[in-house]
Amino acid sequence: MNQVAIVAGGEAKAGRRAASWRELVQEAGKALFEDVNNLAPKDVDSLFVGAAQPERFAFQSYVAPLVAEHLGIIPRKVIARTELACVSGQAAIRYAWNCVASGMSDIAVAIGVEKMYQPDMAEAQTTMTCVLDREWDGINCFSAPPIFAVTAQRHMYEFGTTQEQMALVSVKNHHYSSLNPIAHLRKEVTIEDVLKSPVVAPPLHLFDCCPMTDGSAGIILVRAEEAKKYTDTPMHLIGSGQCAIGNAVNNLASLTDWVPLRRAAEEAWRTAKISKDDVDIAEVHDCFTISEIMEYEGLGFCEKGRGGKFIEDGEPYIGGKVAVNPSGGIMGCGHPLGATSIYHTFELLKQFRGDVDQGRYVKGAEIGIQHSLSGAANQHSILVCSREPR
Amino acid sequence: MSKVKVEKIKRPEKIGLPFMLDFYPLQDEKYTRISQFFKNLKDGHLTTTKCEKCKEVLWPPRIICPHCHTEDLKWIDLGTEGEVHAFTEITLGAPLGFVEDTPFCTGIVQIGGLLISARIDDVRYEDLKIGDKVRLKIVELPDQRVFFRFSKSKNE
Repeated sequence: MNQVAIVAGGEAKAGRRAASWRELVQEAGKALFEDVNNLAPKDVDSLFVGAAQPERFAFQSYVAPLVAEHLGIIPRKVIARTELACVSGQAAIRYAWNCVASGMSDIAVAIGVEKMYQPDMAEAQTTMTCVLDREWDGINCFSAPPIFAVTAQRHMYEFGTTQEQMALVSVKNHHYSSLNPIAHLRKEVTIEDVLKSPVVAPPLHLFDCCPMTDGSAGIILVRAEEAKKYTDTPMHLIGSGQCAIGNAVNNLASLTDWVPLRRAAEEAWRTAKISKDDVDIAEVHDCFTISEIMEYEGLGFCEKGRGGKFIEDGEPYIGGKVAVNPSGGIMGCGHPLGATSIYHTFELLKQFRGDVDQGRYVKGAEIGIQHSLSGAANQHSILVCSREPR
Repeated sequence: MSKVKVEKIKRPEKIGLPFMLDFYPLQDEKYTRISQFFKNLKDGHLTTTKCEKCKEVLWPPRIICPHCHTEDLKWIDLGTEGEVHAFTEITLGAPLGFVEDTPFCTGIVQIGGLLISARIDDVRYEDLKIGDKVRLKIVELPDQRVFFRFSKSKNE
């Protein structure tokens, strides 16, 4: 198997954009090819497009060839759209990685895009509510906020986690996103702002939730031995883990213990030959404040049930035990489903390059992870990236 | 250059909820092999399939056991009394077809050894707590399809 590196990234400004689905992907694609030396769209032989729900959000199927056409790419090895709800972007990276690692592909692009903002909120929610088992859970209005609301409620009930502790995640991530020019939300919030924001699905308030965001981001993957042809600062893919258990609410391993996350993490550390203590930056899936708290636990950064205390102690801040979401996370940057994992993978590359605001720069970072989850948190995916080849 | 005049054209002003944008499952035997579940509901019983080989109670109802892949399943009655495991309230962000019902509670109810999601009627969020007893409620749509919910038990 070939070692694989990421040599470039490009992204559209995330937010409620006055731009269509295909325009977002054109913006990210242009930025992507401007970020790389000696490589043009015609050199790309494989293309993977992370797109969760273009049929509903943009009323468009068959999006991979549409993206290829708009970016001037003529795939001649592998082309596909990848769909894994909120992890569609990391799914694209994994396909691209596999193609380059196996030798099937020389130069692969993984690009994600989602156009989330729609004038009719109910229509957008209808779209989102068919991610969970539509006939048995969606019908009971279990979309993202309700499933994470009951998760938060049980975590509070079982471990004594408080709404103030959850709010601290929002405070931290909005702080970092205020320093990130591509982020959707660039205003700081206080604990009080979070607790006084409108209730979405109790106990979750508006600022416990990520926003509905339009965006697109892409990366280029090549064999590591050739990476320096294209950039002075490649980033290396050194390990991964992915695990899915059950789907319908009844068949989740547990509401408050994300078993698939623990398994994905074990596999990620094993394949990367690292321990959790080696992680300098963790870009994790903070779709809701409770998610990040449970990720501290599931990734092993703290004991089970102690996630609230972990942020109270400042451990997930830069300078703490591990820098969690110095990009501002999904909470601050936004969550354009198909693009999210790719934005945050590119964030790791920018961190390694030192190409971020000083206020959110994790100096000397060598290892970063990008974690995404999907559905009722029944599926977790982790990529392990390093600054140097290992 | 000569200019072309814009012509107005007609479109229907409103389009009804499209057939496949409906959350309620298709229940008739011409659409599904578990139409028995909905017949049982119509008769007042919440049921599901149990594997005769590995004895697992399966939810949602199946035509094949996911554990041993046998088709040897039987219908069992889950009873009418459940207990609230977790819940929330839908205030903002209900999907099409449910907006008119807001605010309403939805949650996870423990019944017959399962944890199934369901709407919990006749109660506001503030008046519900984990562990509360809830009673099976069966609702019928104008097109005669049925579905189950739970209701906060009156005799608690």
